[in-house]
Amino acid sequence: MTRLSASVGLALLSIVGAALVPVATRALIGDDDYWLQVLIWVMFFAYLSAAWNLIGGFGGQYSIGHAGLLGIGAYTSSLLYVHAGVSPWLGMLAGGCLAAVVGGAIGYPCFRLRGAFFSLVTIAFAEMLRVGTELTDSLFGLPINGVRGFLLPVAGSRPADFQFVGKRGYYYVMLGLLVIILTVGWLVKRSRLGYYLAAIRDDEDAAAALGVHPARAKLLAMVLSSFFTAVGGTFYAQLIGFITPTRTMSLDFSVQMVVMPVLGGIGTVLGPLWGALVLVPIGEVTRALWGGSLQGVHLIIYGALLMLVILKWPQGIDPWLRGLVARRRETPVAAQPALADAPVVAARASPDGGEALLRVDGLSRSFGGAVGVRDLAFEVAPGEVVGIIGANGAGKTTVFNLITGALAADGGDVWFAGRRLGRETPDARSRLGIARTFQIVRPFIGLTALENVMVAALPRAASVAEARREAGRWLAFAGLAHRAGVIASGLSTGERKRLELARALATRPRLLLLDEVTGGVDQRSLPGLVRLMQGIRAEGLTLLVIEHNLRVVTALADRLVVLHLGEKIREGPPQAVVTDPAVVDVYVGATVARG
Amino acid sequence: MRGLAQAVTSGLLIGAVYGLIALGLNIVFGTMRVVNFAQGTLLMAGMFMTYWLWELGGVHPYISPLVTAPLLFGLGFAVQHLFVSPLLARERAREPMSVLLLTLGLALVLENVALLFFSADFKTVTTDVSMQTFKIAGLIVSVPRLVGLGAMVATSLVLYLFFMHTDLGRAVRATGQDREVARLMGINDFRIYGVAYGLSAAMMGIAAAVLVPFFYIHPGVGTSFLLKAFVIVVLGGLGSMPGAALGGLLVGVIEGAVALWVQAAVAQIVLFAVFVAILFVRPAGLLGVERR
Repeated sequence: MTRLSASVGLALLSIVGAALVPVATRALIGDDDYWLQVLIWVMFFAYLSAAWNLIGGFGGQYSIGHAGLLGIGAYTSSLLYVHAGVSPWLGMLAGGCLAAVVGGAIGYPCFRLRGAFFSLVTIAFAEMLRVGTELTDSLFGLPINGVRGFLLPVAGSRPADFQFVGKRGYYYVMLGLLVIILTVGWLVKRSRLGYYLAAIRDDEDAAAALGVHPARAKLLAMVLSSFFTAVGGTFYAQLIGFITPTRTMSLDFSVQMVVMPVLGGIGTVLGPLWGALVLVPIGEVTRALWGGSLQGVHLIIYGALLMLVILKWPQGIDPWLRGLVARRRETPVAAQPALADAPVVAARASPDGGEALLRVDGLSRSFGGAVGVRDLAFEVAPGEVVGIIGANGAGKTTVFNLITGALAADGGDVWFAGRRLGRETPDARSRLGIARTFQIVRPFIGLTALENVMVAALPRAASVAEARREAGRWLAFAGLAHRAGVIASGLSTGERKRLELARALATRPRLLLLDEVTGGVDQRSLPGLVRLMQGIRAEGLTLLVIEHNLRVVTALADRLVVLHLGEKIREGPPQAVVTDPAVVDVYVGATVARG
Repeated sequence: MRGLAQAVTSGLLIGAVYGLIALGLNIVFGTMRVVNFAQGTLLMAGMFMTYWLWELGGVHPYISPLVTAPLLFGLGFAVQHLFVSPLLARERAREPMSVLLLTLGLALVLENVALLFFSADFKTVTTDVSMQTFKIAGLIVSVPRLVGLGAMVATSLVLYLFFMHTDLGRAVRATGQDREVARLMGINDFRIYGVAYGLSAAMMGIAAAVLVPFFYIHPGVGTSFLLKAFVIVVLGGLGSMPGAALGGLLVGVIEGAVALWVQAAVAQIVLFAVFVAILFVRPAGLLGVERR
């Protein structure tokens, strides 16, 4: 708490300092607006970058068309002011709302796909909007003058009309907007949405497997980001008093909104501010030195810095600054709590009238010509532990992907808790109570161990604080309490496996799918992991386990299913199965051949 | 009706050149799952090379790809080797998004360096074919644009044969499907990426050659074509090569036909409407494949 209040104090101090700057410049250099203008640009670009950062930085969805949203804001408020006499303050909100709708509409189809697609669509959108506006002379009878743009009438000092004489008024408005957007960023970062976005940025599939709805989180962030970007557009129009599509919707603006947060530290709250503080003055200096004749010099520097940062310094300024100010505090080492402290896992594993909890029937999936799984059928009763064994390529992980919905089946059914699963996505199935771990662990490497587990607890928790407490309990259960504050990229392989188990358990599953928990783990970590799995079993949770280590799986499972080339060849009690000659032939034979 | 037919013809011919650029984008995306923002810059570089070959050496633009394509291949291979590969080696994501930002930075640098050296003045190359037209069934056909259509068809054909019937082409396709598995099969994935990037750069030499006789040359020319190519790629399907060709022709026809028939602003609105409609109905693009 002391750390939090110190940060708040520092922030308030900075705001007061910034508020006094116009007074100081007036005393020192008289009514010279140039320096105020430079500071306004710094804050303006910091603001825009922070607005972009909500979706681009926090969510890792790089929009390269935010200038289009800026243009929507600038044009909406200006047209309303010029033709209907609506105060730009109201126009600003109208533009923000319009941009939020447009941004959401662009984002909606993209967020069902992923990655580069969103970047392409945003840039294509901004470009078409710019060219379209350049070619349009009137819209619904309103003259917008195409490429020539239009001047806003000068009304003198009319704060109610968002007009000030001199730069000071604009300075304070911009400062206010900057404080608002940085506060919004800070709040989002600590909210449910912030954790979801951070998880999605690191690994969208893993986030979905924990019950996070990726498309919804991204859409919400995009709507917020669009709104604030358009608000910045209104400010721009009022400050300059003259708007053209070529300038307000330029690729230049879109690119600067990307470069600054990347340099400042992508995904951080204050990164956009640091980036603007460095880059805007560089732009001013090159313009002062080389003026109009060499107009692109600052863009060369921006581009080169962008490349340099991405190649050599991907974390950017903010984490580096924090490292200078204070070494990251590690959470104090807690004594390893006994398993009894942990919540009872089996609370939700109540049997549904003696029926199987999971039943797969005739399940098939092929990849091109290759068979993944063919006509597979088996059941898992509530509270039962079933092991799946088979050589590499037998189709074990494919079965998991079909049950969790990561892959669509070619044919056959998956029944869970008396309900036939159809087109449910992985996140929907997670919310139904199916959790999994991944064969190759997939922690959210930018989050701490505790935050990793929080992402899993959040979809069911009433508040972030509750999720934090819940996550702490599961970390303790997994024997990682002493590593809670460590960034996941700093965990060992064994610890990452424990983290994945804690994360899967924190979703409160009714059925847990464990994919090779002991795979790739060194001999020293093995006994601890096996004890942990036995602990989970002892809580009465229903488990489906893929395991190469036969000793581990025979000790753990009530029943084994043997897969060979995508088909079930045996099923039964562990001892009977592993001594079956056919199984030995397939399993050991393959193992020998492989080794 | 005659006017419309004429507009469609003109649109098809310019759309072919758009398609060629989109094809270059999709080769890189299909292989590395990376959107190459420097694609337009490579086109711009190719156009300047072609221009100087003509100005200084009197080399006809249609012959220049013999020089520019290998040069651009080398440039593309070098960019891949110096900048993109180190990043790909670090990123484990299936779609390494940081590469997109890297190529964006590269495009900014190269375009503005070109602005510094060549200034923003428009340059033109007037060859014997520049103004030539002929009439067929009452339709006026511009010769250099027809050459553009021919170049797209020929390039697509050569690429098809390369990808389907050579070992190197198969290796490129395999790497695009699964980098890890391709590596396990003994394919040097980074060399393949270099080949793909170089190939898509070399294609910009061909696009430059067909553009130069009838289009202005200036440092921003690449970006303006690249932005069109993005629209095309989204329409046709990201990573789909037939999609690039189809999308290019579609955009060319909408721009040409509606602009001539009604007006240019309406063409942009129609294009935008089609874009949004396809986004909602088939988000993966006309010929794109949704992967799950």
